[in-house]
Amino acid sequence: MDLAMLKEYLPFLIPLVIAQLALGITALVHVLRHPHYRFGNKVMWACIVMLVQTIGPVVYFAFGRGEE
Amino acid sequence: MRNYLAFLKKEIYEYTKTYKLLIMLMVFAVFGITNPLVAKLLPEILGSLKTEGIIMTLPEATAYDAWTQFFKNATQMGLIVMVILFSPVLSSELSRGTLINMLTKGLSRTVVILSKYTCMVVVWTISIALCFGLTYGYTVYLFPAGETANLLFSTFCLWMFGLFLLATLLLAATLTKSNYGCLLITGAVVVACMLVNIIPAAHRYNPISLATDNMGLITDDIEVSSLYCTILISCLLSFLFLTISVLIFRKKQV
Repeated sequence: MDLAMLKEYLPFLIPLVIAQLALGITALVHVLRHPHYRFGNKVMWACIVMLVQTIGPVVYFAFGRGEE
Repeated sequence: MRNYLAFLKKEIYEYTKTYKLLIMLMVFAVFGITNPLVAKLLPEILGSLKTEGIIMTLPEATAYDAWTQFFKNATQMGLIVMVILFSPVLSSELSRGTLINMLTKGLSRTVVILSKYTCMVVVWTISIALCFGLTYGYTVYLFPAGETANLLFSTFCLWMFGLFLLATLLLAATLTKSNYGCLLITGAVVVACMLVNIIPAAHRYNPISLATDNMGLITDDIEVSSLYCTILISCLLSFLFLTISVLIFRKKQV
């Protein structure tokens, strides 16, 4: 993909990246601040949340987070 | 009525505190932005894969492709994410026992079920509206010539199917103790609907037609009037499921 094309699609990419990052970072903060999980450990969840786009945070909040 | 509003407020507060509202909105926003983008970029990505000796003729992407993406993502991933997020709707409070105090203080059980359903419907409505709005805006921007028929009606059908699914979810939640049981029953209902759909005569009366006929509606291959019966049946079934779950929850040992 060349630079002109990248520029053309910038109005899409910026909100997309913001939405993905917002999800990822919210989940990451939660992973780091609540170190009790139903299964798995901190490193595993941090990787899942940051590397698996969109689905990772959903899976963490639905199945991974432990009771407070 | 005051109890209902108070419990509704508590539910909304819970969804913001457990990040469920944020996740729903973000996931649907991501889908909303991705839909037209993928439709636009797919021919270019395929074109860049072109190798010697293979001739590929790729049709120009149209607004239909963007809406195909929208209905594919929203009916599959969107609904799955929604069901997974809402599956602990009752089980979390039952297992932690936080509901007991309120029930012994005189909060009616009917109110609990009804306000939970209302809150889920509100979140679902906002999410689908956000996704639709983003897809619509970007599609108009990317494909200015694109004309589509029955777009709002088609999305309304999808929304209606969401209501049916949430009613099923709530009934499943009152029937089981864990959220996995709830997920299992909801999944089983959807699979059963899909199996029934194999019989052509049942197609008109099956709620799942609301989530499978969307593209046909947009391309005008399917008559709008053929879905009126399905919508009516979905409404009745949702109402029935809601009533049954209220009745079961009234008898349920908390």
